[in-house]
Amino acid sequence: MRTRTQCRTGPPGPSPQLRMLVLIGVALVVGCAASLAAIALVDLVALLNDLLLVAPKTRVQWESLPLLVASATLLVPTLGGFLVGLAHRYLSPAGHPLGPPAVIRAVQFHRTLPDLRSGLVSTATAALSLGAGASVGQYGPMVYLGALFGGAVHRLRLGIPGLASIAVSCGVAAAISTAFNAPVAGVLFAHEVVLRHYATRAFAPVTVASVTGYVIANVVFERPALFRIDFPGVAHGYEFALVAVLGVLVAGAAVGFMRLLLALGPWLGRLIAAPALRPALAGLAVGLTALALPDVLGIGTSTLRFATIDGAFGLGELVVLIGAKIGLTALCIGAGFSGGAFSPSLLIGSLVGVLFWTLLSGALGVPSSGAAIYAIAGMMGFASAVIGAPLTCILIVFELTRNYDVTIAAMVAVVFSNLVSHRVFGRSLFDEQLARDGIDFSQGRDHPHMAALRIVDHLTPDAVTARAGEPPGDVDWRLAAKGWREAFVLNGDDRLLGIYTPGRAAGEATMADLAQPAGLVFEDSTDLAEAMTRLRGFVGDAVPVVSDDGTYLGAVSEADIVAAWLDESARLREEENASV
Amino acid sequence: MRLSELAVGMILWAVPLAAQDLTVVSWGGAYEAAQRRAVIAPFAEETGRSVTVARYDGTWSALAARGATEGWDVIDMLADQARVACDKGLLLALRPREMFSRAALSDFTPRRPDRCAVPQNAYARVMAYDDRAFPGIKPTGIEDFFDTERFPGPRALQRGPDGILEWALLAEGVPPEQVYGLLSTDRGLRLAFRRLETIRDDILWWSDPSEPAQMLAEGRAVMAAGFNGRFFDVAQSGMPLDIVWDGRIIGIEVWAIAASTDTPDAARAFVAHAARPEAMARLAERIPYGPTRVSAFERIGLHPETGVPMRAHLPNAPQHGGRVLVRDDAWYANTEALRDRRFRAWLARGD
Repeated sequence: MRTRTQCRTGPPGPSPQLRMLVLIGVALVVGCAASLAAIALVDLVALLNDLLLVAPKTRVQWESLPLLVASATLLVPTLGGFLVGLAHRYLSPAGHPLGPPAVIRAVQFHRTLPDLRSGLVSTATAALSLGAGASVGQYGPMVYLGALFGGAVHRLRLGIPGLASIAVSCGVAAAISTAFNAPVAGVLFAHEVVLRHYATRAFAPVTVASVTGYVIANVVFERPALFRIDFPGVAHGYEFALVAVLGVLVAGAAVGFMRLLLALGPWLGRLIAAPALRPALAGLAVGLTALALPDVLGIGTSTLRFATIDGAFGLGELVVLIGAKIGLTALCIGAGFSGGAFSPSLLIGSLVGVLFWTLLSGALGVPSSGAAIYAIAGMMGFASAVIGAPLTCILIVFELTRNYDVTIAAMVAVVFSNLVSHRVFGRSLFDEQLARDGIDFSQGRDHPHMAALRIVDHLTPDAVTARAGEPPGDVDWRLAAKGWREAFVLNGDDRLLGIYTPGRAAGEATMADLAQPAGLVFEDSTDLAEAMTRLRGFVGDAVPVVSDDGTYLGAVSEADIVAAWLDESARLREEENASV
Repeated sequence: MRLSELAVGMILWAVPLAAQDLTVVSWGGAYEAAQRRAVIAPFAEETGRSVTVARYDGTWSALAARGATEGWDVIDMLADQARVACDKGLLLALRPREMFSRAALSDFTPRRPDRCAVPQNAYARVMAYDDRAFPGIKPTGIEDFFDTERFPGPRALQRGPDGILEWALLAEGVPPEQVYGLLSTDRGLRLAFRRLETIRDDILWWSDPSEPAQMLAEGRAVMAAGFNGRFFDVAQSGMPLDIVWDGRIIGIEVWAIAASTDTPDAARAFVAHAARPEAMARLAERIPYGPTRVSAFERIGLHPETGVPMRAHLPNAPQHGGRVLVRDDAWYANTEALRDRRFRAWLARGD
């Protein structure tokens, strides 16, 4: 066991001092690059919004030409969608937009991100999608862009275990920190969603990168936060209970939203054969809706602001807007527009919060501290259920408002929302998307790691096989020579017939007669996690492994399975507790 | 004097133009008085040209109606009005590169001369109140303009949508950088008018910029929306009025030349003269409208008559604090019709 672990670590790496320098240096460079890229992306989207008549401020300046505004409203998202579809179809090897799930997968399994070209195409299409007013979010693409810079470190061979994963997390943290002017939230997001552990080796550089992003956004560029909230405080104690109820309600809405989003993709795939046409059609739907309801266009920064103003929306308006935004966001992402679900979630959640407040104070006449607190609590309750990052969401509120009262209110909503959504749906949209690809984080990060290891890679070369027609004497002799107590009996096609155990034989019978059916057989797709579960109660030397058609591939000894399990556990513990 | 400005001056001297009168159009009141002493008189003295001053209400439509018949040459305009007038062909193209050296052009702040207009000063639309009306708690934020419970009494307000819509949203807690974005939506306008509705019965309308300070002085209003220079002027005369700098809307005033001018060269010479840092500093010493050239700031000293240090009273003086909004000229120019329509509809609802 000990020797195996040492084997994995390989030759001794650089000294701790040098490692520290390398980690901090990587964090600074990646943090800087990711932050600048995030700013550039936001500015590019704003520029496109202005040029393409998506931003309300430009639309209103052309209001004397209503026909122009209306045709832009219809054509811009439609053509934008068409171009996005074409780009994914013909320019991107991955063929679809990339986002946090791809980052999580790369970091967790120490793999490289999908190829650079797909990443760049995905970023470009994200700028185009957001610029053309599709109902998608900007944070997913920002996170991916940040991760791309971290991913470049993979090419450097600096002898620090897991450096590439840490660097990717640095990029992610810097992107979030820049986007929200929230360095603490950036650090937490990287750990909560991407790394899923808090080892010092990762924590220190991720923090450095996050602060770098904050410094660049705030000190160098003096950019205002994406939304600023001045909030006086919570007036009544019972409002914390109301916010808890709101948390449960937004969880319901969030689960509905995520189910719809996951269902719409495959449904559209069956409905429309040409992949390039799917986003175009979703764009047309956005445009048509926007003719009557311009709030659905784009990221919805103005709408988010209105949500914090008492009485900005009527009851009916709210219901229609929430429905439209949920439907269109699910449609846009499902159809293949490039963009995230986080910023639409912020918007939908805040509108649900305002709806709750409107019913409460309007219909029931309950005195309250105003719409803003419910908008913020709803916003974070919804968004945290979608991205599976309750701590990040609580911290974002704190860093944006610097207000303790509203942070606690948001925290209550976030916790209740997560309670429900985790139970009913799963930890997050990302985890659910990964689970559909066979990576299941619902039991913690050990399980998917064990599940990633195939049992066929651990076949023992010593296993003894016997042919169906062989006499037992020969086999007994071979078993004795190797010190095994079981032989795997194969027929002429190498298919497993059963297991032969010496001693119970009688007379001249052949192996075929003597073989007992195997109690436990692994398939070539069996992974370590499944093998470990199925081993419970197993008695014997080794478990035979067969392919789909029953062909015998080899056998894996119980000791090797346990050793592989222990090795992987040790590696994970080492990663989670590494100092420098 | 910059080389290019010198060149323009020399051309002027070479051509016998003195016979033609130059008509400069401005806004009247304390502002015009300061302009006469700081800009117009020095120009007349230097060039020997006689300048007459006409007065208008600051709109491009007044220029369209009266400019040609009354022989207007140089016009003092709001930047957004100049944009509209320029688009409508009412203004002469200035060719700033010929009027100013490269160094002079980069000296302009926050924006450079464009096709039709040369920035000349930065003013602020602010709220002021009569100190006598609120002996206890004083208004400190723009929300207080809409708070008739804590601060009862008539409010003097310009009869038009300028400025008040921004204030209404600032009072709703909208951060300055989002105000114009939100006012661009139907919902934003609705919310702004909803806020305005809360003070409808307390509004005293004005249309001449010298009125609001007067209304405060005469006790007809307790609060007023107006221009910081006018309020300063009345406060200097001993009237106990205070300016609330929170929510100030900084705008740029420009010089433009009427397309119908019969003395384009003299008009250009006037604009070049008025855009010198010395002239801007002289104006800022007489009325607290900030210069639009960096090099003019250091020249601003004391008020020539009262001895008040003027830099502290400029709209962009750092000690004012509070929220600042910079008037978005392009947005203003392109949304004039919409804002006007909505404002008149709102007015009509009350009748």
